[in-house]
Amino acid sequence: MSIIQTKDVKKWFGDFQALKGISMDVAEGEVLVVCGPSGSGKSTFIRCINRLEQHQEGQIIVDGIELTNDLKNIEAIRSEVGMVFQSFNLFPHLTVMQNITLAQIWVRKKNRAESEEKAMELLERVGIPEQAQKFPGQLSGGQQQRVAIARALAMEPKIMLFDEPTSALDPEMIKEVLDVMKELAKSGMTMIVVTHEMGFAKEVADRVMLFDEGMLVEENTPEEFFNNPKSDRTKLFLSQIL
Amino acid sequence: MIDLIKKNAKSLQESLFSSVGSSVLTIATTYLVINFFRGMLGFAMTSDKDWLAVLNNMQLYMVQAYPEEDFIRVWLSVGLTFVLAGLSIGIWRNEERVKSSQIFNSFFKGGLGVLFFTIIAPTNASFMGNDGSVITEEVLSMDTRLGLLIPVIIFCAIFFSIRFTNLNFTVNSSDMVFFYLFLPVALIWFVKLPTIQLDQNNERIIPEPLMPIANTTKIPWTVIFVAFLASYFIGMYIKNIKSIKSAISLSWFLLPLLIFSWIFKKPQIEMSVVLGSDLPIFGFFLLWGFLVITFVNNSLFKKYYSTYLGVTFLLTIVGVFSGLPMLAKTCLLLIALFSVVVPAVSTSSQGKRSLLIVWAVALVTLTFLLRGGASDTGIVVPGSSIFGGFSLTWLLAIFGTYVSFPLGVLLALGRNSKLPIIRIVCTGIIELTRSVPYITWLFFASVTLAVFLPAGVEFNLIVRVLMVTAFFSGAYFAENIRGGLQSIPKGQYEAADAIGMSPFQKISLIIMPQALRAVIPTLVSSAITAFKDSSLVTIIGLFDFLTIGKTVIGNQSIPVNFVGHDRENLIFVAIVYWIFTFTLSRRSMKVEKKLGLGER
Repeated sequence: MSIIQTKDVKKWFGDFQALKGISMDVAEGEVLVVCGPSGSGKSTFIRCINRLEQHQEGQIIVDGIELTNDLKNIEAIRSEVGMVFQSFNLFPHLTVMQNITLAQIWVRKKNRAESEEKAMELLERVGIPEQAQKFPGQLSGGQQQRVAIARALAMEPKIMLFDEPTSALDPEMIKEVLDVMKELAKSGMTMIVVTHEMGFAKEVADRVMLFDEGMLVEENTPEEFFNNPKSDRTKLFLSQIL
Repeated sequence: MIDLIKKNAKSLQESLFSSVGSSVLTIATTYLVINFFRGMLGFAMTSDKDWLAVLNNMQLYMVQAYPEEDFIRVWLSVGLTFVLAGLSIGIWRNEERVKSSQIFNSFFKGGLGVLFFTIIAPTNASFMGNDGSVITEEVLSMDTRLGLLIPVIIFCAIFFSIRFTNLNFTVNSSDMVFFYLFLPVALIWFVKLPTIQLDQNNERIIPEPLMPIANTTKIPWTVIFVAFLASYFIGMYIKNIKSIKSAISLSWFLLPLLIFSWIFKKPQIEMSVVLGSDLPIFGFFLLWGFLVITFVNNSLFKKYYSTYLGVTFLLTIVGVFSGLPMLAKTCLLLIALFSVVVPAVSTSSQGKRSLLIVWAVALVTLTFLLRGGASDTGIVVPGSSIFGGFSLTWLLAIFGTYVSFPLGVLLALGRNSKLPIIRIVCTGIIELTRSVPYITWLFFASVTLAVFLPAGVEFNLIVRVLMVTAFFSGAYFAENIRGGLQSIPKGQYEAADAIGMSPFQKISLIIMPQALRAVIPTLVSSAITAFKDSSLVTIIGLFDFLTIGKTVIGNQSIPVNFVGHDRENLIFVAIVYWIFTFTLSRRSMKVEKKLGLGER
């Protein structure tokens, strides 16, 4: 059963058409890697899934709820979908602990003790329980991104979206973040990952997609995608990045 | 000890005499500063200055001609503020400790300051006599100077040497407040400054024995101090009670309203009006609000909610222009606005509960203000105004900030809103208020504003001044806060959205705290400007603190002739303004430091 369904999604920024009809399905527990050159609409597409961008035509159905202008639906979907950003976007005025508990307390209406317990559990999972009382500004980039992952997981989402989670990191820190993501993938989380880390795609992805100029160019299993690509655009893309 | 002096001397040399240029600068600046203070001290100490003109007019300075039999209202207001402050300090008591060496060090520094002034104080000073000639006289003889120097030096020496003993303890930094308050209260009891009395020939005599200057106020101040102390301990005791913190915060918000109506008004309450019209209206609207909150999630009610809103607004418009009592009109307006907010906030049972409380408190406050505040004032003061002096300045400053700050936040958010109508209205208000001088607005308040108010509604001049002040400084606050809002990256909005926060939560928990933190320095300077600008109200005939010193006392001839002694009073006024603004800016620096913790 597919947890995300999109049908012919189109989006314009002014005159520029960023998405030219994307249709796809994501099954529950699937790990999907989306790649493509910059400006190809891949980030725009996953941002449409939790309504950070508004699509103008087509249908997006997440977990049986269609995304429309209805605020109730949007809030329902956002609490099902966790998101990790390229630039972390932690809240700099709150400690790591507060960053993770904030949404639990205010959105999920949990009590403080319960949500702090959950936060510690998640910090252990991403490997930085000792940083709980620090402010985001005092952490390294990799640690910040792991906190961001923990913050998203604290909402107990069914789906996680990653928007180039490692692009702003030093090569040494990329590994620590990817390790967390691999562990997450193995635990059965549904994930859509926009990334240029082809190693990650080969290792954990169930499916790989290539976007170009707002269109879905190729959709394939990793083995087929890397060894036996169907379209010429994919071959060109792979020859440039590998 | 020798090492310490050597180390200090070395750092002094490095920072002040590191090169020829800096040596010249150091010497020149020192010379100028010393001469400035010598001049000031010489000016203050010559015999033609009558400092009793300041000391004897404290009552005038504080409350102007406020009737003496109503002083209890002022004292109660001050006392209530201190009690609330004591409770708050007790509840939010921090565990920060101040080291004894730090305290001794500040005593030592204070002593050094006094020493410095005693040494540089001029022996002779000159002033202009009545006939225009320059008179030079001895103001501080060597004997007096020595008599002052010896105790000051001993004081300094004690606190300097005490740090080499092993006297080491720490004091809770919240507890220090008592020490700061204890000193002035103790001084009121022990320091004796003469009040002027007149003999049969209207000549000044100094009464024997000396009457302390604060004879009439020492009992109230002591009572207030004790109440403060008591409430501090009560605060510590009750700090674990659930939701006590929000109750205290709410009280702080309501306190100025209470004080305002308390000091200004002696409400003439007719029980028949209260029972016959106020209470039923109050009850009716309370019930209305409760019903809306309770049934807002009911599916049938939800379906017709837009119809309900439409009917409510129509009723409000009809009601406002009809002959309903003022309370009913305002309540209608309030329920219409309230009904818009309810569906967005009452999504959870917790949200519903706090909405119920908000609604009840809002109604009670409104009823109280309209009944207590809009009735004719019962407090009659000789002259045209009601109230003046430092109380007025303080009231304008506090009340101005209280009302204008939230207004500024709302205007700033409104100006950034996506809805065009709200954006246009907010931008319009900001641009209109900012583009007209404050004095023009004051004239507007005193002359024109009454024309714009509905018939039968008449506000006191001070209330009208407060209204324009709120908008004027609100517009400045709004622009400052908007600057802060613009400094928040878009990612913060997206992150808050992505974890499912509602727009209200996003603004109040994520965006506003960061935006305000970014603009604390400008906000404080706006608040200081508003505090000082309150002296402009003199232009429309209100007697603020400065006007009392400059005009009232400077022209006072009965019972004691103080004509021409406005310079002493101006210096006093300047010092008082300085103390308040300086404290404000120091506090804000501390807050900034505390909040800046998370910065990279």
